[in-house]
Amino acid sequence: MEYILNLTKTLGGMILLAEKWIKLTFQGKTRWGFVIDQIFQVGVKSLGMTLIAGMFVGAIMALQIDVQLKDFGAESFLGGLSTSTTLRNVGPVLIAFLLSGKVGAYTSAELGTMEVTEQLNAIRLLGADPVEYIILPRIWAVIISSFLLLIVGLMVTILGGVLFSQFIGVNALSYIQNIPRIVTGWSIVLSVVKSFVFGTLIAIVSCYKGYTARGGAVGVGTAVQSCAVTNLILIIFTDFFLSMISSLLQELFQVGYL
Amino acid sequence: MRKRFRLRIHEALEQMYFLGVQSLPIVFISLGFVGLMMILELAFHMRLVLKHDALVPAFSAVLMVRELGPVITCLLLTSRIGAGIAAEIGTMKVTEQLDALKMLSIDPFDYLVVPRWVGSVFAAISLTVVAIAVSLWGGALLAIQKLGTSSGEYFNTVFFFVKFPDVIRCLLKAAVFGTLIPFIASYQGFRCGTGSAAVGEAATQAVVRSSLAIIVADFVLTYLFYAI
Repeated sequence: MEYILNLTKTLGGMILLAEKWIKLTFQGKTRWGFVIDQIFQVGVKSLGMTLIAGMFVGAIMALQIDVQLKDFGAESFLGGLSTSTTLRNVGPVLIAFLLSGKVGAYTSAELGTMEVTEQLNAIRLLGADPVEYIILPRIWAVIISSFLLLIVGLMVTILGGVLFSQFIGVNALSYIQNIPRIVTGWSIVLSVVKSFVFGTLIAIVSCYKGYTARGGAVGVGTAVQSCAVTNLILIIFTDFFLSMISSLLQELFQVGYL
Repeated sequence: MRKRFRLRIHEALEQMYFLGVQSLPIVFISLGFVGLMMILELAFHMRLVLKHDALVPAFSAVLMVRELGPVITCLLLTSRIGAGIAAEIGTMKVTEQLDALKMLSIDPFDYLVVPRWVGSVFAAISLTVVAIAVSLWGGALLAIQKLGTSSGEYFNTVFFFVKFPDVIRCLLKAAVFGTLIPFIASYQGFRCGTGSAAVGEAATQAVVRSSLAIIVADFVLTYLFYAI
């Protein structure tokens, strides 16, 4: 019972934060200087990790799909199938998992520390709104940087697949030539939409969890943990629903097939 | 002289409950959705490539058992227990409880890390088994509704294509990931600085480094198991 109450409270709080974010943005209160500052803080630091993760995810999927296609005797589809599977769901989910650890947990730890050491209260005492000054730029920064990082990561997965296929003895040229046969424009649109939605989720969840951290060092630790868990569950949920909507739309309008 | 590195059964059982049983609902719900999603996506791909979807259950089950089952379960576990372990040990360091343990001549590694390692390996292996079962059932639900295969046909193809060595390798992967998480997380906790900012930093680093370690270890293990 308490679990359900907590869940409702968290979801409600996040929706209220999202409402405030949209309202303040439409009132033109975003300080873009702070946003660019935060993008440097959050995004540029995570670039190296995203590149490594993307490389390995691409390589893992190429290897796994290669082994599986050998069982079914359809190796000629390797390039397209592994790239398409990676771009459409495995890549966004796994890279968003890592980003929710890096970008999301970093943001919630920073905001949680501010809340616990009463820096946010100090801003309230000065007659300013902490949501406007601290949280709004961070939400925009996390959205923009996770979106860009996810796109870069997905591009790198393709590169990882190509490099690794060369390593396991598949001709890289035939791998690359096979990609446009299966990866359609619809798949690319879907992966871009997924990247944007995951970025928004990470931003809202991590800012909410950091803003509501209570109780000293323990509180900050709990905030980081519950931020990471909530992010992961929401990413999996929305990934399924976006895939579902996409497949319904494809069947309805007959697009995305070759 | 006291025996070094003895296993504290009581603490280990406590950690098994805390790390394993309490992560069950998250894994249960998430991996059910992953199972549904894999059927949906692979149905699209198979229709594109092979023009029919008879092989969708087999392909998704093999991908699930070999790759995504252990990886996604252990990434979920990382975010739940990795951040938790680092924050807990970091808080103990900040509040000088680690020094108190040393004063009582209790080795912190012995008392804190070993029980968490036992609990985490137990949690990773058993949760992976649950995860794969749930994802197969989730997949069956969607395959029967959407693809029109009968349930007997579904499980028949799944059991035909998933071989026993695959399951053993999958559990080995889970055990390796379950070992990586507590060691990286408690390392981050032990070298945590002072103050609440440092605890947050330690928890963040624990999640990031152990997720990255899981992805890299998965690549190495898959290569060792299937490409050589």
